[in-house]
Amino acid sequence: MPKTNARPMSLTMRVVLFIAVTVIACLTLVASLINSSIEHHFIEQDSGELKVISQSVAAVLAQQHSSSTALGQALSKAVAGHHGVYYQVNSQQGTLIYQSSDRDFTKQIMSAPSALGFNRDNIVLWQANDHTYRALVSDFNVQQQQYKITAAIDMSFHKHFLRQFKQSLWVIMFGSAVLILLVAWFAVHQGLNPLRGLSKKIYDIQTHKMDVRLDESKVPIELVNMVHSFNAMLDRLQDEFMRLSNFSTDIAHELRTPLTNIITQTQVGLTKKRDLVQYQELLFSNLEELERLTKMVSDMLWLAKTQNGLIKAQQQVLQSDEEIDALLEYFDAVAEDANITFIKQGSNVEFYCEQLHFRQLLSNLLSNAIRYTPAGESITIKSERIGSDQVCISVINPGEKIAAEHLPYLFDRFYRADKSRQRQGNGAGLGLAIVKALVTANGGEIVVTSNENTRFNVFFKHIKS
Amino acid sequence: MRLLIVEDEIKTGDYLKQGLTEAGFQVCLARNGLDGHHLAMTELFDVIILDIMLPDVSGWRILESVREAKNDTPVLFLSARDSVDDRVKGLELGADDYLIKPFAFSEVLARVRTLIRRGGVQKVADILTIADLEMDIPKRKIQRAGKRILLSNKEFSLLELLLRREGEVLSRSLIASQVWDMNFESDTNVIDVAIRRLRGKVDDDYSIKLIHTVRGMGYKLEVENAQN
Repeated sequence: MPKTNARPMSLTMRVVLFIAVTVIACLTLVASLINSSIEHHFIEQDSGELKVISQSVAAVLAQQHSSSTALGQALSKAVAGHHGVYYQVNSQQGTLIYQSSDRDFTKQIMSAPSALGFNRDNIVLWQANDHTYRALVSDFNVQQQQYKITAAIDMSFHKHFLRQFKQSLWVIMFGSAVLILLVAWFAVHQGLNPLRGLSKKIYDIQTHKMDVRLDESKVPIELVNMVHSFNAMLDRLQDEFMRLSNFSTDIAHELRTPLTNIITQTQVGLTKKRDLVQYQELLFSNLEELERLTKMVSDMLWLAKTQNGLIKAQQQVLQSDEEIDALLEYFDAVAEDANITFIKQGSNVEFYCEQLHFRQLLSNLLSNAIRYTPAGESITIKSERIGSDQVCISVINPGEKIAAEHLPYLFDRFYRADKSRQRQGNGAGLGLAIVKALVTANGGEIVVTSNENTRFNVFFKHIKS
Repeated sequence: MRLLIVEDEIKTGDYLKQGLTEAGFQVCLARNGLDGHHLAMTELFDVIILDIMLPDVSGWRILESVREAKNDTPVLFLSARDSVDDRVKGLELGADDYLIKPFAFSEVLARVRTLIRRGGVQKVADILTIADLEMDIPKRKIQRAGKRILLSNKEFSLLELLLRREGEVLSRSLIASQVWDMNFESDTNVIDVAIRRLRGKVDDDYSIKLIHTVRGMGYKLEVENAQN
């Protein structure tokens, strides 16, 4: 199945559709309820009327009548005040005895179900002479005479009324559905207004005005979360942006120093003829500055690459003892010169890191520690297991405490806790940034704390052997 | 020893040619890929130094053609882009070594010499000597003017390296890599301190100095002869 990346349905559309389906369903239900209850009411009304008429006719039949004419007259008066109502009396054999109008139902009467008494269940619908009737045929015995009493109501009026009613009902339904949808659409549109407002505010944020924050108290409760997240994102971006700006400034400064040296020395060297030794001296000095530049540029490129995730660590299982010993041996002479001793603590642990990377990062941490440790003191290197799946390698050195406000930035490129500190030819302040990048590339973490001792803790994954 | 350099960058080509010529090689310089390709295919060289980013025929193409022609002259390629892919590609195509720009000239020289050495079978000497210094590797004995010199393990390895590469300028990173197995560029002065200590034991008490600093490049071991 290929993934379709069509845009999801618009919010307005979703809400309106949802409301539409619900409203139309409800309205249809209400309409059919009204409709059926009216029909039911008509049926009730009709059947009651038919029964009353039949009973009135029966009552007339039950009386004594001198003649059939008298009976006819009596029957014609039997029912009063009913419109569109027809009744007739037939003998059991179908002979017409009386009919209230010229509409003759004899044919239908003979085939209709009938029973003694006025049974509702016998009410039937007839089609006769282009009209529809609701009718009741009842058998009635009086003085050994059997009659069929028929009452019929013309339903044209009812049907007409119902048709009219249905029509207006549908018009009302449709009208209210459209109205509700329009209102819903408008409500959603209005409801999204704060979003549009936010959008406009967000659009106005520029890199030189990154301290703009959206006001959480000015938005509806549903958007607070989003605004909060957005502000947090802005905080992170601003922080990163500031670092980047500072970084660019720092690069310029860092490059400017050696370049100035090279240019000045060369210009001075060329102002007059000099002897060979002086020219050599000049070239050597230039070479040293250029080496510094090269080192800085390649370090910066390397850092840029790690930040773009281009450095892939070839991780292997390392033995902490082996690696730490190799590095202590490497720094042995330097430490001795500085009158600093190394103390190795903890036990051998196995962990997962590229050897070259580990050596480079520990080398940076150690040379850093040597730089800031007072003569006569000692640096502690500790290796230990943390829980079941981590190891921690620590480099701990006494010396001046690093103020808490500097700690979060310590691993930033070119960051120096002491701005006035002279760069004593020991790199351009990229050492710790490189350490952090190396640790990250190997899936580890690094934490620094500083009190009476400064302590760098590097955590790596421990591989169960 | 004939070298072919294929390099389109004028200054880089000129200085490589000058430096290598002064180091005693016969150098042929091609300034574009087409000439380089032609020379590599028609003449014999001991080492070919190949720039990858050439305007016409890329270094990769030249390398491919050379290897397809069953010519296994050692090839050292130069790349301005320090990407792992480039290195892997170069080595897969049959290059022997690579250098990333900017590189130190001493590094180029060391690599070229290594490649040439790799060509012939080297008999590793057991006893190394220079001036009045004698180093017996199997016995781990060092004498200068008949006097025994005691060195630590690493100092011993460092001196052995200097002796075996007598006359070559060894960069700090090469020394760190060969002696301490630290294969990264470092800001520390570890090597300088180590050399200073070694000098204290090997050179200080003698008039003839053997270990020399080459400013901005590294260290070399040789008997000082001419004005240097």
